[in-house]
Amino acid sequence: MISFILRRLVWMLVTLLVVFTVSFFLMRSVPGGPFDSERALEPEIEANIKREYHLDKPLYVQYGLKLKQVLSGDLGSSMKIRERVNDIVAQGLPVSAAMGLLALLIAFTVGLPAGIISAVYRGSAADVVLMSIATIGIALPNFVVAGFAILIFVFWLDLLPAAGWGSLEQLILPAACLGAPYAAYVARIARTGMLDVLSQDHIRTARAKGLSPTVAVLKHALPTAMLPVVSFLGPAVAGIMTGSPVIENIFAIPGLGWHFVQSAIDRDYPMAMGLVLLYTALLYTMNLLVDLSYGLLDPRVEWE
Amino acid sequence: MPPRLIAVVLLAALAVGGIFWVVAQGQLPPASFTFNNDGEIESLDPAVVTGQPEGRLIDAIFEGLVHLGPKDREPRPGMAERWELSDDGLTYTFHLRKDATWSNGDPVTSADFVYSMRRFLDPLTLAEYAYQAWYLKNARRYGRGARGVEVGDPVEVELHTRPEGALRFARGKVVRGELVRVETDEGYTEEELTDPETYVDRRTFVVSVEGEEQRFRVAGADDDFADLASGGAKSCRQLLLDFGEVGFRAVDEYTVETVLDAPTPYWLQLLGFYPLAPVNKRCVETHGPRWTDPANIVTNGPYTVAFRRLRDRTRLRRFEDYWEADDVAFETIDALAVQSLTTALNLYETGKCDWVTKVSPIIAREFMKADKRRADFNPGPQFGTYYYTFNVSRKPFDDPRVRKALILALDRDEILSTACSVEDPARTLTPPGLPKYDAPMCPDTDVDEARRLLAEAGFPDGQGFPKIEILYNFEEQHQTVAELIRKQWRRALGINVATRNEEWGSYLSSQRQLSYDVVRRSWIGDYLDPNTFLDLFVTGGGNNNTGWGDPEYDKLIRDAQFEVDAEERLAMLRRAEEILMDRGPVMPIFYYATRDLVRPTIRGHYPNLQDTHPLRYLRYAEEEVAP
Repeated sequence: MISFILRRLVWMLVTLLVVFTVSFFLMRSVPGGPFDSERALEPEIEANIKREYHLDKPLYVQYGLKLKQVLSGDLGSSMKIRERVNDIVAQGLPVSAAMGLLALLIAFTVGLPAGIISAVYRGSAADVVLMSIATIGIALPNFVVAGFAILIFVFWLDLLPAAGWGSLEQLILPAACLGAPYAAYVARIARTGMLDVLSQDHIRTARAKGLSPTVAVLKHALPTAMLPVVSFLGPAVAGIMTGSPVIENIFAIPGLGWHFVQSAIDRDYPMAMGLVLLYTALLYTMNLLVDLSYGLLDPRVEWE
Repeated sequence: MPPRLIAVVLLAALAVGGIFWVVAQGQLPPASFTFNNDGEIESLDPAVVTGQPEGRLIDAIFEGLVHLGPKDREPRPGMAERWELSDDGLTYTFHLRKDATWSNGDPVTSADFVYSMRRFLDPLTLAEYAYQAWYLKNARRYGRGARGVEVGDPVEVELHTRPEGALRFARGKVVRGELVRVETDEGYTEEELTDPETYVDRRTFVVSVEGEEQRFRVAGADDDFADLASGGAKSCRQLLLDFGEVGFRAVDEYTVETVLDAPTPYWLQLLGFYPLAPVNKRCVETHGPRWTDPANIVTNGPYTVAFRRLRDRTRLRRFEDYWEADDVAFETIDALAVQSLTTALNLYETGKCDWVTKVSPIIAREFMKADKRRADFNPGPQFGTYYYTFNVSRKPFDDPRVRKALILALDRDEILSTACSVEDPARTLTPPGLPKYDAPMCPDTDVDEARRLLAEAGFPDGQGFPKIEILYNFEEQHQTVAELIRKQWRRALGINVATRNEEWGSYLSSQRQLSYDVVRRSWIGDYLDPNTFLDLFVTGGGNNNTGWGDPEYDKLIRDAQFEVDAEERLAMLRRAEEILMDRGPVMPIFYYATRDLVRPTIRGHYPNLQDTHPLRYLRYAEEEVAP
């Protein structure tokens, strides 16, 4: 198991290097630069700015400098908001992660039972209704769900605050809207996984030996049925923890999500680069954790 | 309980605990007044920023020699309690108040202003707005660094080493002397030597310091020129005109004198403009790039920075020792960094925010259409224009008749009624509202005349007219306007028009490289004078971006700068705008209007052309003090 983890970590470093290189050159190939504005800069100031950020050097030198900096753990300073990228991440990531975790908790508490119920009562009215809702949940974009949720819970029922950060109430709506499509996915995947397992021999044997349907489902079928859900969970956690630009924008959550979009629009090279690397590292770590958890859920799986 | 279940429950408990912990970290008591500041600010350093959101905060935490009133934006005593102007209109003498202090308790003195102005003009400060101070004598030359000096000038050479005992982020040691010779490197053509990007890299500057000749090269700290073929040289950080030559000096501890190149009627207004605010030398030199962190920043305005969370809010607290602190109403102010206009409106409607600086055009239309006008929505004219420009370096736009035909074929009423809400149609570049300036207009819609001109230019009924393209940056309103204009031109002139949208960065770069036919643009005036609009279109101007130039126009703009008589000066600018409207590359479409929402109980918020409402004058109705 140790060698398995080590091997994966080496691959992670290779992936990070590839992602770093590709995003570095991709970003530089887009027209425009971080200091473009409607007002033209004086040549002296522009030359000094370029010198300050090494933008006057040949691309390969810039690449080397940047690589050295990133290797030392420093993601550099944002060119638009004059703060260090490390600080921006340190401020934004906990916020995005808290909202993301709550969204995932909601997604699971809603999605999992829904999926199990539709699988166990396959073909019943409950199955049809739940799966229709799930399909709609997947199809509806975030901002539509958020718009309706604000209209209902903020303006009609006057139950929750419209936006902002600082209390748990303010987190409920954004987390629910963020979690809704995930809940739908979880429900559908759990249903498929469950149906798969329910038709297998060991469940039939358990039932034949006289186990109640509830015990058979929860104790014997559920862990195996969870496998596809867990493998979906890995990338989902990485994605949801780094924030959602749309939800953060609508609910004014000071997370990381909007920085992803804004830094690309602004050609804020260090910022965009730092966020892409962060996301890659998170995604890779989550996938590793998922692979490890397979062993816990299914005794047949072995780490090679 | 099976271990797997325990693990799951533990994980969930950990997650919930984590969420609670993070949320608890973010809790804050409510502020006395909350407004939305449109988005995350770039910095709180007055010298380096250019945006309105930054301006609102900097205006509240720093104060320059003068500050501008909330209604007419007239200069009022700030750090200077009074000032005099010399008869030739060039020299202002400011007398500082003696009771003004920085938030760390130090008194505000003339040295602070000299330090701040030098820092602002220093090309290494990277101040994008530095040109706002170029009205000062020699300021522009100082700002151009080594390119701004000539043989015979007194110069200052900043070395890479810091003077002994200096703070960590202080300027390098400065050597003063007279520039006696500039040696250019051998082996370069004349063209290579004058290239602005490498100008300093190919020169050795010989400076006479106390009678002794010293040789300098502007380069990095590690560069060594001891073995230079033409004789050794010392590497210096930068070489500038001696700051003593710049028209900004301290007469004594509490007197500052500014000397201008030409009488500039809006100089006092510029002095009240936030980029020219003073900063605290000790604070900047101690903390370097982190001096604007709430824990470090030292300010001298009515408010101090209490707290800042990126993309959430900046909290300001009243500065008790501000010289006019009794007049500042709110104890704390929250400036929210909400970017979405809809979210900001939601916060306002649910009482979480007292002032929204703008609502979206769609919402503004809804408000205007409503049967009963809202008391808190009072749109007014703004000092900005939305216009299109033609790329004159491309055919057929080099023909003034073609440009005029396109302008004549424009139906502004249709655009206003479809894409706008509270704005007014524009037929001038300079928006109305300036006293004594009546801008000359471009011709109004006249389709027959447009057709005639186009035929005269060789395109009867649009035959043979190349397909042209309108470029805009992606935003809903720009798209609607572009589509309407496309339709109007096609309908009126029978020409083929396409539209192309690019996102902000690419759009700016296309504009700068003149790779467009017709482009959407807009400009918000920096100060209340036609010059802020008209000097955009001087030949080769940094923001011209049309390839257009007219010697007569350039001369009028330049002469107006040196004209002492205010009326004659405005007459010159009017003639210039007449040329621009008659044969220029500009097609005005509409003037911007303010669209802010503010609680009717708030006082001190007056509509004005610059849409600027200093926070220090805002208060709740019952707190109103006698004027």
